Amino acid sequence: MSHAATAKLRVYPVLAAAGLVAALALGRPELAALAAPFAVLVAVGLALAKPPELRLYVELDRERQLEGRDVVVDLELAARRPVERLELLFRMPPGLETGAPNPRLIRLAFDEQPEIQLPIRCLHWGAYELGEVLWRSRDVFGLVAFEGLIREPHALKVYPRGETLQRLLRPLETQAFSGNQVARQRGEGIEFADLRPFTSGDRVRRVNWRATARRGVPWVNEAHPERNSDVVIFLDTFAEARRADLGTLDLGVRAAAALATHYLEEKDRVGLVAFGGVLNWLTVSSGMTQLYRIVDSLLDAEILLSYAWKDLNVIPPRTLPPRALVIALSPLLDERAVSALIDLRGRGFDLAVIELSPFPFVDEGETETERLAYRLWRLRREALRSRYAALGVPIVEWREGVPMEAVVEEVRAFRRHARVVRA
Amino acid sequence: MQDLHLRWLALVLGGLALSFLAAGLTTRSAAALGWGLAALGGEYAVLFAAQGRALDEAAPVYAAGLVLVAELAFWSVERRIAAWSDPAIAERRLAQLLGVCVGAAAVAALVLVVAAASVGGGLALEAIGVAAAIGALALLGVLVRRTAAGHTRALR
Repeated sequence: MSHAATAKLRVYPVLAAAGLVAALALGRPELAALAAPFAVLVAVGLALAKPPELRLYVELDRERQLEGRDVVVDLELAARRPVERLELLFRMPPGLETGAPNPRLIRLAFDEQPEIQLPIRCLHWGAYELGEVLWRSRDVFGLVAFEGLIREPHALKVYPRGETLQRLLRPLETQAFSGNQVARQRGEGIEFADLRPFTSGDRVRRVNWRATARRGVPWVNEAHPERNSDVVIFLDTFAEARRADLGTLDLGVRAAAALATHYLEEKDRVGLVAFGGVLNWLTVSSGMTQLYRIVDSLLDAEILLSYAWKDLNVIPPRTLPPRALVIALSPLLDERAVSALIDLRGRGFDLAVIELSPFPFVDEGETETERLAYRLWRLRREALRSRYAALGVPIVEWREGVPMEAVVEEVRAFRRHARVVRA
Repeated sequence: MQDLHLRWLALVLGGLALSFLAAGLTTRSAAALGWGLAALGGEYAVLFAAQGRALDEAAPVYAAGLVLVAELAFWSVERRIAAWSDPAIAERRLAQLLGVCVGAAAVAALVLVVAAASVGGGLALEAIGVAAAIGALALLGVLVRRTAAGHTRALR
């Protein structure tokens, strides 16, 4: 806590002194009568000036919230002595805002513990620390200002808002564990696949009695088993295009969180690779715990400038299990990420690229040269897309405002119609 | 003739006070406000000299008015948040300001009453008065200096 003299405390004593000196010099008590109130005001004010000795208790109604929703902060104040005018500023990190008055002015009466509720709107995903309050009070005559900072840190995690997805992108091959996806293989399952003659060891319940009656020898039904799949979300954190409130990384994090949520709901195993200046990964796993792990890991995702060349060799092998579907979320702005994705395809991974379009974040330019450069850049990106398509990698551009559903459907269409290329 | 000159001087001082106060409020300058208040005090002294009366009974009223002007001026320039965000607090402050003005008038009246008391005169009494005034100013100076120097300590 610190305290400082206000402007009044610098002026009033000078006025009092000037008045008293003038009264003495001129021998006029009226001037002393003018000066005396200022002197008395200062003397009494300084004698009464005491720091308020504040205590502050901060409580959040929840520690996790979705982007765009509200969290309520409860502030409970207590002071050893009454405070006539207390100014409070609840420090708000960028990405959060409050509609309530902040700073606000309150009065603390004796033995009073007022509660202030501060609704906070979570504008942007991220991990925040709340609970810093700057306060300022003055003594009763406003001669001394007391200021301080009270910290009662509370963590708040704002998760990226979800995207609605009716249908997910399915990997070409499934894994060995049971899940919700109908496998291409034949085995024990519900979905009918084919008929075949009865062989030793087949269960009687598998016998297709109609086919058996028609052919005179026992025939059995074959089915597609329900299996799970491994999905790896590959988030490019090398570079991003952004404006003040939004960037391609924000889009990527939102998409990654939405995809992870939906795949995990389908009993698939999901992993995460944040490939950038700092490599961050989570091996594939399933369940609600994995969802929290992924989302918490996404909150730490940030663009860190690095010139070090990185390729797939830096990624631990078990992070990319065989037959996994790799969904890459990238603005395709960094050569290292572009090469790593091509390398992934080269290693036989089932890859789909969701291009987080940087175009809405880049101005075309004003001069002819700038516009020419912009057009060349766009052409280069078209060429890059063609390169991926030629490798059999579906690549779909995603912009803010376009539903994720449309992007997934576009990838599905590509995979349905494109010739499958085996690397 | 001298009376006329003094009245012109009072007018000039009044104009100066007004200018300083306006400049202080516009630029949020405490120094300008201080000069404005000093000019107002000077104007009173000059007017009083022009009238040439023995003792001005209206001095407490003028003192209260001067304090009111000073308090309102410093309220206007102090660093603060929206003053009217809580009307109850503003009302309390206005009431407190009224109390300060009444108190100022009372203090000024007390000074006048003491000054008017016929306790005789002489060099010794005058010397005591001077010493008391200097002592009061010194005490005030020490108090202000101790506070203005400021110190920082952890509250919690």
